Amino acid sequence: MKRYDAIVIGGGLLGCFTARNLRRWDLSTAVLEAREDVCTGISRANTAVVYPGYDHKPGTLKAALTVSANRDFDVLCRELDVPFSRCGSLMAACGPKGEAVLRRKFRNGQENGVPDLQLLGRDELLALEPELTPDVTLGLYAPTAGTVNPWALGIAAMENAAQNGAALDRNAPVTSITEDSGGYIVETENETFSCRAIVNCAGLRSVAVQELCYPSPVQLRITAGDYLVLDSLTSHSPKHIVQFEPEQGKGLTAVPTVEGNLLLGPSERPGVDFGTTRDGLDFVRSLTRQVLPQVDLNDTIRTFAALRPNPERPDGSSIRSFVIDRPAERFWSFLGVKTPGMTCADALGLHVARELAGALQVNKNPAFQPVRNGIVQARNLDFEARRRLIAETPEHGEVVCCCEDVTLAEIHAAIKAGATTVDGVKRRVGATMGRCQGSRCRLKIEALLREEAGHGN
Amino acid sequence: METDLLIIGAGAAGLSAAVGAWEAGCRDILIADRRAHLGGVLEQCIHTGFHGDLTGPEYAALLSCSLRDTGVSLQLETEVLSVSQSREAVLSSRKGLERVTFSQMILASGCRERPLGALDITGARPAGVYTAGEAQEMMNLRNEDPGENILILGSGDLGMIVARRCFLRGKRVIAVLEQAETYTGMAKNYHRCMETHAIPLRAGCTVTELHGEGRLRGVTVRELDSGSEEFIPCDTLLLATGLIPEQTLVSHLGNPPWLHLAGNCNRVHDLADSAAAEGRSIGLEIGKK
Repeated sequence: MKRYDAIVIGGGLLGCFTARNLRRWDLSTAVLEAREDVCTGISRANTAVVYPGYDHKPGTLKAALTVSANRDFDVLCRELDVPFSRCGSLMAACGPKGEAVLRRKFRNGQENGVPDLQLLGRDELLALEPELTPDVTLGLYAPTAGTVNPWALGIAAMENAAQNGAALDRNAPVTSITEDSGGYIVETENETFSCRAIVNCAGLRSVAVQELCYPSPVQLRITAGDYLVLDSLTSHSPKHIVQFEPEQGKGLTAVPTVEGNLLLGPSERPGVDFGTTRDGLDFVRSLTRQVLPQVDLNDTIRTFAALRPNPERPDGSSIRSFVIDRPAERFWSFLGVKTPGMTCADALGLHVARELAGALQVNKNPAFQPVRNGIVQARNLDFEARRRLIAETPEHGEVVCCCEDVTLAEIHAAIKAGATTVDGVKRRVGATMGRCQGSRCRLKIEALLREEAGHGN
Repeated sequence: METDLLIIGAGAAGLSAAVGAWEAGCRDILIADRRAHLGGVLEQCIHTGFHGDLTGPEYAALLSCSLRDTGVSLQLETEVLSVSQSREAVLSSRKGLERVTFSQMILASGCRERPLGALDITGARPAGVYTAGEAQEMMNLRNEDPGENILILGSGDLGMIVARRCFLRGKRVIAVLEQAETYTGMAKNYHRCMETHAIPLRAGCTVTELHGEGRLRGVTVRELDSGSEEFIPCDTLLLATGLIPEQTLVSHLGNPPWLHLAGNCNRVHDLADSAAAEGRSIGLEIGKK
């Protein structure tokens, strides 16, 4: 039986960042992930926004964490070698109700300490973002908003945790948790572990996991949202994150992603799987035509759906704050953390890690190394650097994914870093994400995966 | 490195352009192609019907032969990463990264297939959905099967040819679905590929939703006239829903006088012969300069 100080259940963004932060202390740590890879549940799909922090009521944990996490995001992404674009966001309204929302968020933001927030009149707004519909009447500009790829961030955090000694078990859904002499026995389908403390980061299954051992104070209502992704060559993509606050109903977010695509969405509807719906996609399309009238939706290369856990009290009322439950001295549960969970993932992980280290009375880990080096990608290099890279490693000269310029050496590196599926390769180096969606490289990547799996045997 | 004429793509159009330019008198020609062999996509088109009744690989061999007595330079297994306004291309291969400056350029980069994400198909994203070209590559170059119970969306030439290929590999081809009122490829291909093997064509319908976790379990098919929907069980869906001229490399360049597009990257041709003829005539014209 493997023994750890701390077991993290769930390898989504929160689980990966919790593991990373637990290793800041002298805590042996393992992450148990139910699926074949990390960041394949809630974290596999979201709006990819690093929020500035004006959405939440002053004085709440969400407000404070979001503002400080946003401020620290450049440092975090530098440490983890993850591309981060601080492109700024423009929230736009076209009428009195929307304007009132913007003014309220502006006041919230000022109280929360969001830097450089500005309310912009129509002309200023259109000058800053000419792709917006001329029907706009007021804008809220937050230059500190940004965007990051959620998988890139989560995978980097897990790799950093692993490089600091955390273990990762994949295909390991937890089936039982029992209290045992001050700690816990945790069983997965194939193995039994013992640990002194548990952090439940199981996302969509977080309530179910807590209920393996304790009652849950909340229930999760799962909702889904649909998104469109447009070709990086599409014209009329906005330069900022655009958030539209409509006069009625749900708004729209448009994000110029770090990969150069335009992400549009989400709709909001009931749903428990990652399948898209026509109504949901039509909703996103129709709002896009309204808000960004020049955007050509024929440039769509991918559609996907995201899932969100919405924590509710037993009476069905919704809970707006992050729910961090502690049903026992050594058991922490993130129950239904949603937006801005990605922005705050490192901060939330640190928050719980600090409490856990206090409960177990352990010392700081002096060897903790916060810096992780990602896979070197030829496409990010200038001519001379790329030339040298190929001279050193000829496999960097062979481009496998021609849309996204991903080399054979990068595919090999992704597989070495833990990718076991084409999706895993995609999440690590971006292959198949481009305008042909892998129709020219997927078979080759599958063959490389089989080859590597063969070598392993 | 410098060259008079850089040709990107060694398929039917690119090879023919090179031969044309050589015949017209150009003596400094470089062809770059990402594949290891000449002929581009012809390699995976093992059916007959090229240049009379040759197979794709035979036609590729024929085109390659006409290059043999020329002094055209070849760089295979080479990706062209970029082309700039200042007439400089960056080429990447295992041998290294190099800049090639040129006077004229012919883009003969073929086309790509419209992917699932660009189609109005909702639902899950299970395994078992491929483009027709991918299925062709699987069966003809990798000796792999795309699946057992196969639906094909799109009755252009590629859709019908791939349907026959699946049938000849012993797979069950449930039907070829087509939005239009009848097949959209050539009549010759309808007779040879579909009728001969009794593969059903279902016109006037399309796929609207995918079902299945892990592997495809079936699709929702909608009759466009009546709007009625039906679930058709299948484990594989092949998309033959359109080819898009591949112009990514030059999309930022506008229309400079030194840039020429030949073959399927210019417009999608029904026949490889027609793409080759276009390449040849552009080559002849440029070679004179």
